[in-house]
Amino acid sequence: MSDIITVKKLTKQYGDKTTVKGISFTVKEGEVFGILGPNGAGKTTTLEMIEALRPIDGGSVVLDGINVQKKPSDVKKIIGIQLQSTAFFDKLTLREQLVMFNALYDSRSNPDELLAEVQLTDKSKSYVEDLSGGQRQRFSIAAALVNQPRVLFLDEPTTGLDPQARRNLWELIQQIKKRGITVVLTTHYMDEAELLCDRIAIMDNGKIVTIDTPENLVKALIGRGFSKKQRVEQANLEDVFIDLTGKDLRE
Amino acid sequence: MNTRYLRTVAALTSAYTKRFFRDKTGLFFTFLFPLLFLFVFGYLNSGNTDLKFDVALINSSDSSFAEQFETQLRDNDTFVVNDAATSLEDARDRMGRSELDSIVELPTGFGALNDIGQPSGAVNVYFAEASPISGQTVAAVMQLALDGINSELGQPAPPLTVEQKSTSASGLSAFDYIFAGLLGFTILSLGIFGLANQLPTEKKTGALRRLRAAPITAGQLVFANMLNYMLVGVISLVLMFVVALFVFDFNMRGDWFQLAFVAVISIILMFGFGLAIGGWAKNATQSAALTQIVALPMLFLSGIFFPRFLMPDWLQNITTFFPLTPVIDGMRLIMTEAKTLIDILPQLGLIGLWIIVIYAIAIRVFRWD
Repeated sequence: MSDIITVKKLTKQYGDKTTVKGISFTVKEGEVFGILGPNGAGKTTTLEMIEALRPIDGGSVVLDGINVQKKPSDVKKIIGIQLQSTAFFDKLTLREQLVMFNALYDSRSNPDELLAEVQLTDKSKSYVEDLSGGQRQRFSIAAALVNQPRVLFLDEPTTGLDPQARRNLWELIQQIKKRGITVVLTTHYMDEAELLCDRIAIMDNGKIVTIDTPENLVKALIGRGFSKKQRVEQANLEDVFIDLTGKDLRE
Repeated sequence: MNTRYLRTVAALTSAYTKRFFRDKTGLFFTFLFPLLFLFVFGYLNSGNTDLKFDVALINSSDSSFAEQFETQLRDNDTFVVNDAATSLEDARDRMGRSELDSIVELPTGFGALNDIGQPSGAVNVYFAEASPISGQTVAAVMQLALDGINSELGQPAPPLTVEQKSTSASGLSAFDYIFAGLLGFTILSLGIFGLANQLPTEKKTGALRRLRAAPITAGQLVFANMLNYMLVGVISLVLMFVVALFVFDFNMRGDWFQLAFVAVISIILMFGFGLAIGGWAKNATQSAALTQIVALPMLFLSGIFFPRFLMPDWLQNITTFFPLTPVIDGMRLIMTEAKTLIDILPQLGLIGLWIIVIYAIAIRVFRWD
């Protein structure tokens, strides 16, 4: 697999505070790449610099051969973005929003197919403000797919969702991966990273602490002599919750 | 500018327009508020400014001349004949309660033919002691009418006469003069208050950020908003003209197309102010404060509410160059004096200058978030 994103010594400074401290990494084409880290680690800032939404103070980002700093508009054409607090226009139906985004990208996607893909066909005439949290996240993924992007960026896609909606969104992300779209996501849920990501970068305090596959990271930790008090359980509380309330979406 | 550019602008315009017409509160303030204003100021200024007197007419004479005289009095615009009073006594009571300005009595025998076969007699004009002026005026007007009759009857005409004439000789009403100010008010509030409010709100919700994630330029966003406000502005002004024409007998002297031209560039100008404020402001608090600072001097000093000629000279000199002044003056000159675009070149020049200045500022201070 070739690299689709190459980040070199990326830096972001706010006044005298450096929030992203010269990080470097690559994302391979077709993989799901996760950036993990506690709040304030610099995940969102990093993502927004790659997406050409925030000026790059130092270093460089090359996405599919395009230098982000030099040709931000060209980069925007081939990526899909779901912002952390994605907001859409009010008083505009989902279908109308997708028609509008289609025009903004000069693409010709079928709005109804996109809505079907994220299971929002019956909401096509609703306004975004009337959607539940999970529906809103799914819709923002649909909007991010109008231009058939090479890379899809998801910033904390499942934060604030109930267990059913989270699982549903995970399935959607896996389907998107199957279509060959590279996915870069941030999260602070370890189970999510473990389930979805081919490789993860752990960020803390503006730096990348480590990058590898989830299995290798766990193996390496055990190799360093780490052991957790093991209590073999057949199920945990989330399993109970899902068992009692079912997997069906509540919205 | 290629089709791709225009497709984006068209899509954004369509989105903004749909949202605009789905916002009930916004619709009220945009379309009905100026109309309410128009009704209030229109009614305050609708009656022409000529003197009018409420009088009671007590006709105790049975002569045919008295009957003719009564008919003439009723046809006279200066007098509003109040028929509520049944007798002289009743009329006096009403005058005491200020319901009447004066009482005109045609006594028994008024208009009876005299020795040489001509009608004669005296009209009694009663007035309240508290307001002698109106009574004397009624009496004077009455005398004038009788003098006219006298001369028709072959009596020598008095060498000096007074003729009543209204100052609004061209048939323009007070309403025609204030209407330009009301149009200016609508254009200003639409352009400045609309966008200065909308952009910071979209920054706050993040809708603008999401748009920016797409490959669109600030120019496309501005272009689309401008088209939306142009449509809304034209509808709003058309509504005002409909009310003005059908409710207040608005008298258009000039050319409609030239007026439309001034209106359109005025909307572009005021939109520029809203764009500069809304584009700069990070939130609604900032934009509200700046909007007041920019809009209030224009609202109060550009001749919407107070005529500028009543201001001291130094203030007139300053307010001449306010952006709203040439807008109102330009429209007023076309509407009331049938001036052409050539005649109002100074106003157009000033509007053009302001457009250049405000858009240069707006482009510099615009921020996406």
